Parts: sequence; C-alpha cells; structure tokens
Amino acid sequence: MTKSKFKKSDRIQKLWERSTGLSKSGKRNVYVDNAEFLVYHWSGHSAGFSPATGELALSDDERINLGDHNCRVDVGTSFPYLDEMPSRVKGFEYSATNWARDYAFFLDHSPAEVYPNETIVGEFHWQLDEARNFVYPDEVVELGFDLRQMGAGGTSLAHTCPDLSIGLGKGWVGLLKDVTESKEKWQRYGNKKRSAYLEAQEQVVKAIIRYTMRHSDRAMELAKAENDPEQKARYQKIAANMEQLAKGAPESFEQAVQWIQLFQVVERINGHGNGYGRLDQLLIDFYKKDLGNGIITRELARDILAELYLKYGGNYFSFGGRDRDGRDATNEISWIGLEAYDMIGGYNHLGVMWHEDMDQEYYSYACDVVTRHGCGVPTLVNYDVMRDSELYSGYSEEDAWNVSYSGCQWYCAAGAEYSDHDLNSFVLPAPMQRAMKMAEEQNTETFEEFWDLYTREVERTAEAFTEFKNRVYKWQDRVWPEMVTTLCMKDTIQKGLDVTAIGGPHNAFTSVNVLGVPNVVDSLYAMKKIIFEEKKYTMAQLNDAIQNNWKDHEVMRQIMLNQEKFGNDQDGVDEMYVRVAENIHDTLEGQRNLKGFHFRASLFQYMGHTYAGPILGATPDGRFAEEPIAHGCNPMHGRNHEGITATAKSLLKVPFREYQGGSLQIELQPKFFDGKENKGAYIENFSKAYMKKGGIQINFNVIDLEKLKKAVDDIENPEYADIVVKVTGYSAHFVVMDHEFRKEFVNRVNYTSV
Amino acid sequence: MEKGLVFDIHRGTTHDGPGMRTTVFLKGCPLHCRWCQNPESMNPDRELEWDAKKCIGCMSCITHCQAKALSPGEDGIRINRKICRDCFTCADQCPSKAMSVVGRYWDTSDLVKEACKDSMFFDDFSGGVTVSGGEPVLQHKFLYEFLEALKMQGVDTALDTSGFGKRERYEKIYPYVDTFLYDIKFMDEKLHQEYTGVSNKIILDNLRFVADKIRKQKDTRLWIRTPLIPGATAVKENIEEIGWFIQKELADVIERWELCAFNNVCKEKYVKIGQDWEYGHCRLMEEKEVRELAAAAETYAKGNVVVSGLMGDAS
Repeated sequence: MTKSKFKKSDRIQKLWERSTGLSKSGKRNVYVDNAEFLVYHWSGHSAGFSPATGELALSDDERINLGDHNCRVDVGTSFPYLDEMPSRVKGFEYSATNWARDYAFFLDHSPAEVYPNETIVGEFHWQLDEARNFVYPDEVVELGFDLRQMGAGGTSLAHTCPDLSIGLGKGWVGLLKDVTESKEKWQRYGNKKRSAYLEAQEQVVKAIIRYTMRHSDRAMELAKAENDPEQKARYQKIAANMEQLAKGAPESFEQAVQWIQLFQVVERINGHGNGYGRLDQLLIDFYKKDLGNGIITRELARDILAELYLKYGGNYFSFGGRDRDGRDATNEISWIGLEAYDMIGGYNHLGVMWHEDMDQEYYSYACDVVTRHGCGVPTLVNYDVMRDSELYSGYSEEDAWNVSYSGCQWYCAAGAEYSDHDLNSFVLPAPMQRAMKMAEEQNTETFEEFWDLYTREVERTAEAFTEFKNRVYKWQDRVWPEMVTTLCMKDTIQKGLDVTAIGGPHNAFTSVNVLGVPNVVDSLYAMKKIIFEEKKYTMAQLNDAIQNNWKDHEVMRQIMLNQEKFGNDQDGVDEMYVRVAENIHDTLEGQRNLKGFHFRASLFQYMGHTYAGPILGATPDGRFAEEPIAHGCNPMHGRNHEGITATAKSLLKVPFREYQGGSLQIELQPKFFDGKENKGAYIENFSKAYMKKGGIQINFNVIDLEKLKKAVDDIENPEYADIVVKVTGYSAHFVVMDHEFRKEFVNRVNYTSV
Repeated sequence: MEKGLVFDIHRGTTHDGPGMRTTVFLKGCPLHCRWCQNPESMNPDRELEWDAKKCIGCMSCITHCQAKALSPGEDGIRINRKICRDCFTCADQCPSKAMSVVGRYWDTSDLVKEACKDSMFFDDFSGGVTVSGGEPVLQHKFLYEFLEALKMQGVDTALDTSGFGKRERYEKIYPYVDTFLYDIKFMDEKLHQEYTGVSNKIILDNLRFVADKIRKQKDTRLWIRTPLIPGATAVKENIEEIGWFIQKELADVIERWELCAFNNVCKEKYVKIGQDWEYGHCRLMEEKEVRELAAAAETYAKGNVVVSGLMGDAS
C-alpha cells in the first residue's frame, strides 16, 4: 500500500527532496545549551535556545541536539556581517530601539533567496540571537540560578500565536500605516516611551518591506537569465507576488500563502517560532475568491500548501474547531490542508481540533492520515476543552473561540495572548525530595503530616518561581521585544506596547510545564503505603537508599516498585494523582505575575524527562537515578500493565479544562493492528471516546519498534533515514535526534499487542 | 453467590469479538490442547508461578515456605508442587512479585465492575465484555450469573468457548450471549481426540444446537474460530472439512470464520508454571501458507474468512 493518496508532481517531488534532504542532513537542527535547559527550561547561558553560531554558540560536545525542529537552514558559517551589527558598532543597550536597529540591519543583510521549482519563497540561515546577544542583566540571571536550586526555571520567548488575519488583511503597508498613526497619536499624548517603541516598530516593518521587495528583485533577475520557459514564468510570478506584498495586501490565495511564509521567516528569525493559527480560517476567503475568478483549482491549492509545509519545515497550524457562533468551522481548506500533508507526509506539526459536531468524514480522514503515515501528524486535539480552558482562565469569549492548537501541547487564543507557553518548568520531584529530608529530621509519623511538608515545599518553589518570572517580565520588552509578532496581535499597536510588555496583550498568564508528575505520584503512594502505613522502613532508611541509588537495597527498591502505579486505572494511586495534580494546579493558580495574571499548570513537559534522571537522582517509586522519568503525565516507562484504555482512564481523572494541556502519548506498533481491524477506525474510535470524556490531546505514533531499536545505533543506515516520530509534541527525524532521545523513545511504553 | 476463578483480565482487546473489548479469562479447562496458548488456564485451581526475570534471589520465598516445597536450583527457585500446600505465603512475601499466584476468586458484582471499567470505550467501538478461558463453561454457575449481570447492565457479551460442556449449560447461558466465538479445531474425531484429549462429538452437537437457536431467534452472532497449528490443524484437508461443515450446516447463521495463526509468545508461560511445551520450538506460519489456507476456506465461507495472529518471514 502506498502511504499517500495524492501523487506528488515532479516539481513538488523535487522540492520535497530538497526539503527532506536539509532535514536529514542535519541542517535544520535545534540545539539547547545543556541538559539543565531541558529539565529547568533555563540554561544559565544564553537566554533562549542555543544560538547555532556567534559569540554564545557552544561546541557540539556541549550543546544538545533536539533534532530537525527548525526552519533555519544551516550553512555552516556564522552571520557574515556580525562585526557590523549596530549594537556592536554604535553600542548595545537594553531597549526596543536598540533591538530594532539590530533587527533591521540583520534583515537587510539576510539574503533574499529564490530556488528553482518553488513558487513560495523565503528562507533564512541565521537568527538574530546569533548576531545580537540574547542575555538578561545579572539581577535576572542570579535569580535564575537560585530558582534552579529550588527545582524550577523558565525562559520567556515566542510560543504564542499571532492572528495572521490582521496582517493578511492589511499587508505590510497597511500595518506600517497603523504603526505610524499610533506613533503620532502617542506623540500627541506626549508618551515618549510608547512613541519611541512605535518609531522602532516603523524601522522593523520598513526592513521587512525592503526584504520582501528584494525577493521580487531577485526573482526578476533570475527570470531574465532563465531560458526554460516554465521556470522563467515561475520566477516572474514570484517577482509579481512579492512586489504586490511589498506594496499592498495579498490579493490571491497564492499571495496569502506567500505572505504567511514570509511572516514566519521574518518573525522566527528573531530566535524562535510560534503557532500560526487556524490555516483553514485564514485562507478560505482567498480560496473562494480565486475559485470565483477561475484562477485556482483544488489541486493547485494543494500544491501551494504542500510548498508552504516544505518551505518552512514543519508548521504549527490547526484545522477544524468551531466558528464564532459555535458551529463546525471545517471548510474546504481544512481538507486541502490535510491532503497537502497526505501528499508529502513525514515531518510536520499540524493539528486537527475535534469536537462533537465536527464533519465526521473529515475527522475520519484525519485519523486515516495519522495512521497511514504513522508520523503523529496530525495531532488530535479537543477544541471544546481547549476553548473551555481559556474561558476557565478568564479569556473573553471573543478571544477564546479563536483558540488554535499552536505547539507541542499548548494552544492559544490567536492574537490575544502572550502566556509564556512551553518554556517554564516546575520539577515536581524537587520539593518532594526536600520534604523527605525534613520528614526524616522531624520524625514525621503520618502521611498527612508528610503531605503538609510536601505541599509547603511546592509552595516555596512556586513563590521563588513568581519572583523570577516577575524579574524577567520587568526586563523582557527591553531585552528581547517580539516586534514582528506584536504587529499581528490584537490592540498592541494601538497601545504602543510590545507583546512582551506589561499591559501589551489581552492575556498574559504564566504557563508552567510540570515535570515528573507520575513519578511524584508513584513515589508518594509508595511512601504512604510502605513508610507510613505498613512502617516497613523509616524515612531515614529510604533517604539513605535513594542517596546511594538503591545500592544494597534491592529488596526495598522492589517493594517500592511493586506498589500500585499511576496509569493502570487503579483507584488508590490514581487518587494520589488527582491530589498531586490539584495541589500543583491550585498552588500555581495562587501565584500572580506582575502583569496581573495567574500561573497555570500544564501536565506536560516536552523533553526534560530524558535528561532529568541523573540530575534528580533515584526516586522512592523504585526508579534508579540513571533511568529517565515519566514523559508528561503518561505513566512511567514500563509501568503500564493494563493497556491503553486503562492509561487513558487514569489521565482522565483530572479535568483538563482547568489545566493548560496534557497529552496522551501513544506509540503503537503496526503489529498492534494485526489482523482484521481497520487502523484508522481504531484511532478514530479511541480518540473520540477519549475526547468525549474530556481528554485534550493524543499523539499517535505508529512505529515499527524492532526497526527503531536497530536505528538507535545505526544512524548512517539509509534504511532509517526517513523515519519520523512524534517525539513529544513535535516531530523529528529519528536518526537526527540526540542519542539519549533515541534511546528514551524506544524504551517508552509500547502497546505491542492486546 | 458463586465465586469465579479468574486467571487474567485483558482490557482494550480487539481480537476477542466485535469492537474493543475487555476479556475475562476463567481458569480451568477440560481440553488439553497440545498447543495451548494459555497453559495457566488448564488447572481449575489456583497455582504458583515463578518468573526468573523478576527474581532478585533474596530467597525470602524459601524462608517463608512451611511445607519446604521450595528450594534453590541451578536455574532458579524450584517448586515441588506435590508437597506445596497452596498457602501462597511465598508469593505474599516476594518483594519483586517473581513468585505469584495464578488465579483470583471474584464475586460476580466485583467482576462486573472490573470488566466494565472500559465501558466508556464500548459504545464508540461497538464492543463489550468477552468471557474466555480455559473453558468458561466449566464454571457454568458463575458464568451464568456473570453473563446475566452483564446483560442487566446492557453490556454486549461474547463467549469464547471450545463447545465442550453439557447441553443444558449452553441452553441456560444462550440468552445472555450476544456473540459466540466457537472453536472448531478438527473435523476428524480421532485427530481431535489425539490433539485435545477429547472427542469433538459433543462440541459439534452443541454447535448445531447453538446454530438452531440462532436460526430461530436471529439475535445472536456466531463466529467460528480455528487455530492454525502447523502440522496439526493447519492442514488443507482439515480446513476443507471444516469449510464443508460450515457451508453445509452453518452457512445461514455464521458471520465470521477466523483463522488464528499459531504464535509462540506464550513460551514463557510454560516455563513459569514449570511445564514443558512440545510446541516451544514450533515455527511460525509463513504468510503464504496462511493465505493459501484462507483461500481454501474462502471457497466454503465466501466473504466471512478473517485471518489473524503472528506470521513469520519466508526466511
């Protein structure tokens, strides 16, 4: 059986070869500075991800490779105009004006490239953080190290979702007009700070317009030299499209897609990316208009979207969901968008937002695609629970309906929030470990007394967290404003405030990924039973055993390990899960940032579990120090004995609408489907049953475990080059990832047979 | 109230009847099929099993055995099952659960609750609860109560049976079964006797009875299942004979005929309960062989033949 229902044209095939070639040869890798970044989401070195080149770049031995999770195309050298950066020549300061001057110079010196066969253009080789140091002042960094000692950390960067309908409607020129008008308004009001910000914003938009026009010029130049009439026509079309985008708003479907691609480039170039919203809603009107004018077909639109995916290298777009009035929002672009993925397959990050009133056929198709390609694309998420969790937090209905799956496990009200997703980490075992020490010193006798110690320590970490984040927020819009994103947020330009500024966006919660929930649950439950109820061992003995990584304490380890474990739908330990989850939820909700919003718990942390083991040491759930910890709120590796349904039911014991996400990760083997059952139908039925009961997200991988095991240590073998896995919320080529990630992935719970 | 002896419960299965199901395995079986995949199901009583992979060698089982039935051996803990008093203290004391008890007694109401834990999945998958074994009809009183209780709750039920049991038991149970998963292993009575230890006469008679009931009441599904065992049942003549029988006597009532290819993943189970297994080294069926048998079956039960199970490579 061929994987795809749609055949790639020769042109798309060539673009596919180039794009996947870049990924597989490691030219799209994302790096982080160190293991601490993965565990605490703060490296203590650069203030973001690891800059690939430049002053803050680390060597391959030091940094960790997350895999091909970037749209930056590595050319192996650093930014050629590094020494001419305005901040180096004229002086560095923490201000939007200084940042914008660097940004404009950087973009003006980024090449405008057009490649054969493409009609959607825009690619970059360096990010701004390779040329301008992304670091906070010492007063922030010091607090960061203190917080890490307490078991938490965080980075504030990107990870929101602009509302691209704003830019698609106005074009760069229209956006510039808004900026200028707002600037003049704030000048009239005498607000120097805001008018200075908007003046800097003008420089940013003007640079983008120049960058756009340079693409037009470049395409025209290529057209002149081109002899092949088809290719010549393509260059001419690009030149015309880019000229239109430099001078006005997109007028056709193709121009709209090109606008989106270029927005992604000029935005992501500042250091990291965002979710880009509901592609079907953004494009449907352009498509309908072109259909009416007879200048587009479904096939053509499919090719254009496939190009967009290949060009960017994995897009966070979503489809489906509901419209403003609560009706099914699935439209023809929802279909074409998935068909385009179906055509090219592989690495991507599209999400389908299911709800009970969704077009059944469309959801069946989504499940069919995820099964046939086996790469975890699209991610299946629950629109109603996402929207309801926004409403629960306090978003207005007007903002919340336009929620979009935006990244790994997170979602945003498009254009209406900067809620610091994905890069704040609360390492829950840390306060538990402190409580264990205290329980030993105080001879704590009952579990309830111990629970009090634990919750007090959780609270202490949360307070330290708030102090750190507030210090970051005080500086953020001066250290690293996100000026391009700001252009497509609601009301930010009118306010003259950056999206990262206090008072900028409509909503500015602090979202926190909680790491190690299942290990804490399993540990607390085992301690409750063995230490406090049966009193088989004392806390001192347990602390001693853990300190020594269970050496000479195998009997104790086995006893702790063989207690009920989370993820098997067992009431005892699952009650502990509810208790632990509620506690961290309430504790975080009790913290308030200086933007006036509370902290929100996400029961998911994307990568820390792989590297956290040695940092945390052994845990009372019977885990050795060298073992990874649990992935998100999925049961600890090898502790699921009752199958997928039991795990799903365990997870569902907390109401996800009160949290900020938490995905059920399922690695299925083809063998699992052995025999009669239709795979797509299985995934459809399972996910529907799960989401009807309040589940928020499922990542399905369909993998051949035997093949993956071989691929762990045989990464040069061409047979394994094309394997794409949904690592957590993001996908990557398996062999491109760091060895530790490969090893961890194959050791996860695998539902081999039923 | 009867208590049932259950040796396993599988949730989320897609191989034991329609949709996604929870399968409850009752312990004890009157047949002794030489290829049996669930050797721990045969004995109608609880029994010890020992798992070398889990054992940490702490010897606490030996220390706690009052009958002196346990001793250290070269390949692990030896169990002298003749003098074991089935007190299972050793299992209670084992920190790593290497020593454990196969079989647990359940009240009907508790088992219904346990078996319906996945009810949230039953609707979307059109699934329910399957009772398998062993031979569930061996615990007929409990089985009857259990099936009745499930039906009272509106749960779809399936019964996986060898067909070996008294007629009146099938009569009594029939109204509470939505799907019969009924084994036909051999048509030849002698071969049946040789490989399973019992004649197939009662089995086929009961099957005719079930088929008759379905014919009259049309509210129950019938799936025939034939294990494909290399050198035994997986022989073309046997499949053709079964096919002939199905065509002649069941054509109007059968919904599916499943050919379940042999697998050897249960090898470990034999080791754990200290038994030898003559099929331990038996090869997997090749896909080609299975397809050929399926094609033969198709000529008798067109459109109803389904293949499942593990298949090996041609190599």
